[in-house]
Formats: sequence, C-alpha cells, structure tokens
Amino acid sequence: MSALEDTFATFISRQTGASDATVVSFDKLSGGAIQDNFGLTLDLEGGNRPGRHEFVVRQDAPSGVAESLSRPQEFRVLQAAFGAGVTTPEPLWLCEDTAVTGQVFYVMSRAAGSASPRKLVKSNFSDEQRRALVRRFGAELASLHSVRPPDDSLEFLAMPNPDNPALSRVALYRRYLEEIGEPHPVLEWALNWLEDNAPEPGPTVLCHCDFRTGNYMLSGDRLTAILDWEFAAWSDPCEDLGWLCSRSWRFGADEREVGGIGYKQDLLDGYREVTGISISPAIVSYWEVMALVRWAAIALQQARRHMSGEQRSLELALTGRMVAQMEYDLLNQIQELEDGQ
Amino acid sequence: MINRPETRDLLAEARKVLLDSLVPELGGERKYEALMIANAMGMAIREQELREAGEPETTDVMLSRFLAGHALTEESGQGEQTLARVLRERTLDGGDRELRTVLRAMTETRLKVNNPGYLK
Repeated sequence: MSALEDTFATFISRQTGASDATVVSFDKLSGGAIQDNFGLTLDLEGGNRPGRHEFVVRQDAPSGVAESLSRPQEFRVLQAAFGAGVTTPEPLWLCEDTAVTGQVFYVMSRAAGSASPRKLVKSNFSDEQRRALVRRFGAELASLHSVRPPDDSLEFLAMPNPDNPALSRVALYRRYLEEIGEPHPVLEWALNWLEDNAPEPGPTVLCHCDFRTGNYMLSGDRLTAILDWEFAAWSDPCEDLGWLCSRSWRFGADEREVGGIGYKQDLLDGYREVTGISISPAIVSYWEVMALVRWAAIALQQARRHMSGEQRSLELALTGRMVAQMEYDLLNQIQELEDGQ
Repeated sequence: MINRPETRDLLAEARKVLLDSLVPELGGERKYEALMIANAMGMAIREQELREAGEPETTDVMLSRFLAGHALTEESGQGEQTLARVLRERTLDGGDRELRTVLRAMTETRLKVNNPGYLK
C-alpha cells in the first residue's frame, strides 16, 4: 500500500507544482465492485494548491461489467456533470499512463458524509427534511439533463434509438440475456411488456443511469456528492427518475418510493422547478419496470463473473441469487400498472 | 448408506454457531462476510428442504402442463429454456393468465430458497 500512496502523492504534487507532499492518511474505501477507490489526504507545500487536501483516487478493479465506461470516459462525464452544476466531486486529474500504477486512474476531491444505504434510509429525518432532500434530487437530475447531444467531449457515448431510447434499452437487455445464456422467462416476458408499452420518449439527455441510494453522499441532511458515473449514457430523462424510484433501491423502506428517502411527487416537483417540465408519474413507473430488468441483467452478469472463474466471489455469487427478487417485483409491478389502467 | 446426522442438520447447526457465537464478535467487513456465509448456508438448507418436499418438481410439472396445453414442444427437461424461447419469439400472449400463474410459481419457488422473507 505504501508504494501506491507514494505514487499517488508524487503524481498529485507534479500536477499541482507542489515542492513537497506529505501523506496524512491513505485508505482503501469500501464499495465499488467495479472500481477501487482510495482516500488520500495530503499536506501540499507550494504549488497552486498549498495546504491540506482530501482526495479520492479511482482506478479499475480486476474486471468490470459489460456496460460500464472506462476511467477516462467516466472522468469526462464527471467533468460535464460538474460543469452543468451537478453536485459531484470535482474532477481534478486523469492519468492514462499505465506505467505509473499499472492502471488508468483519476483524482477527484473527496466529499464529506456517508453513502451507506442502510444508514441513510434509517436516518431520522423529519418530513420536511425528506421533502427538501428529494426535491434536491429532482433538481440535480434536472441540471444533469441540461447536457444534451451533440457534445464533442462525450463523443464516446452511443446515441440511443432515434425513435425511442426505451426500445434501445429493450434490445440491449435482450442481448445481455442472450450472452448470459441461461433461460429467464420472467425477464423475457417483462421485456415484451416494455416493448409493447413504451411511452412517448422525452428529449435525449445525459443520464447518470445509476443515481440511487448508495451512490450519493449526505452529510446530515445535506447532499454533498453524486458518485459512481460509470454507467452514464445518452437516454430518456425518465430513465434516471425511474432508476432512483425502483423498489430495488429502497432498502426495506418500501413506502418511500424515492430511494427509501421520500416521495415521488416531491422528486418530480424538484425536477419541474428547474426545467419547467412536468413529468408524468406513469412514465416514471414504466422506467421503474425497466430498472428492475436492468438490475436483474447486471446481477446475472455479476454472477457469471463468479461462475466463469473470472472473479470468484461470494458477494457476486449471492448477487445472482437476488434475481428472483427482481423477477417477483416485476410480476407484481406490471400487474399493478395494468390494474391501474 | 447411513451417515448421520444428516447434511441439513450439520449445516443448520453450523449456521447457528456462526450467527450466535461468531458474528457478535466481528465488526465491519469481517461481519459482512460472515453474514454472507450465513446467507449462503441458509439457502443451501432451504433448497434441500424444498427438494425433500418435492416443490421444484411440482413447479416443473406445472410448467410442462402449461407448455403442452399451448401445443409447445418441450425440449427434454428444458421447460424453462422452451418458455424463455417462445416468449422471445413472441408466440405467447403475455396477458395469458395461466402464463402469469406459471411465471409466478417458478419465481416464488426460487424465492422460497433465496429469500423467503421477500414474499408478500
């Protein structure tokens, strides 16, 4: 570990022009099956950032999942989101020279607070705090969704089906299931439903595609950072809203649809305040169904990494056994949507 | 061959020791790992119990009857593959009540093993 911390400290002092960098603390951060994240606190002498700074260094873990971005791509997405006023860690420096640590990595500012889903969902927030927080989520997504194609810095992001991003997703998840090579009739059935019930698309915008409880940090009741941008894509704005509301991310607080924190109408109100656009809750519900299929496909990919021997891991193996939960939710949620029509 | 106590009994007792004696002594990442082990052992125990009760076979029979009733030829012992394929080919009506009953039964059988607490 000490060689790695020295390498990162030397890299940062070169970027800042510091004459000296003293490591105050260095630790591997929890979370991130796809990336390794390290916390690094440095005392920098001289240069353009003198003083004590807390950084996060993010580099590839041994293997990723099919749809995740590379570190340089993720860095550029983070720059675009930060530039649009989204509350993200400040993206600082990208190192694409693998001679430095053996992996591509980038450095960003470290945000205060906690991202632990169970801790956040169990927080003793007042109704007012919940409303404010969830409206803030809506406002953050609205800012992110102001980034639209074409954007030269994001040319690596594929454009979805011009007629309907939802149908692009359906095609993608069918391909994932084919690649996984085991039968999942409930997922096939749900994909058919998604194909038949695709709503009129919204504008194509930059979506985070993994904005959920567990991927943002709160300090008290204050949002300090939206994290984990490796799944960002051009898509329909409702993909982000539906993902955040999916039952999979409520961590037991099922009655609070928005990540176990608050309520959907407050989220949509926060979104409308920034964009002037009123999103239909029914369209968000459609994308919640899409979210369940997507999470199931990702979970199957993770289990496959274990079963193939690529990355033997009890956690990945157990993730594969979670797919029945998504399938159960799909059966219930589609029935509820049909009954409500 | 008589080989007692039975595997299910051994697993259940081992899981109890893990949860009652070891987990309280652990913290952080180690505790998380121990809980994952207990979770995996619980699935193995429940899967064996359900097999002894013949539940997976009951679901398989229900699926075979459904496929036969819809004039769908099941590749030998491959009911789920057949159902997934015909759904992909869109030769089944997704609103078919019997189809939904079969899908639910298959899912609930798996959940009884993987996470019975999730069933409403």
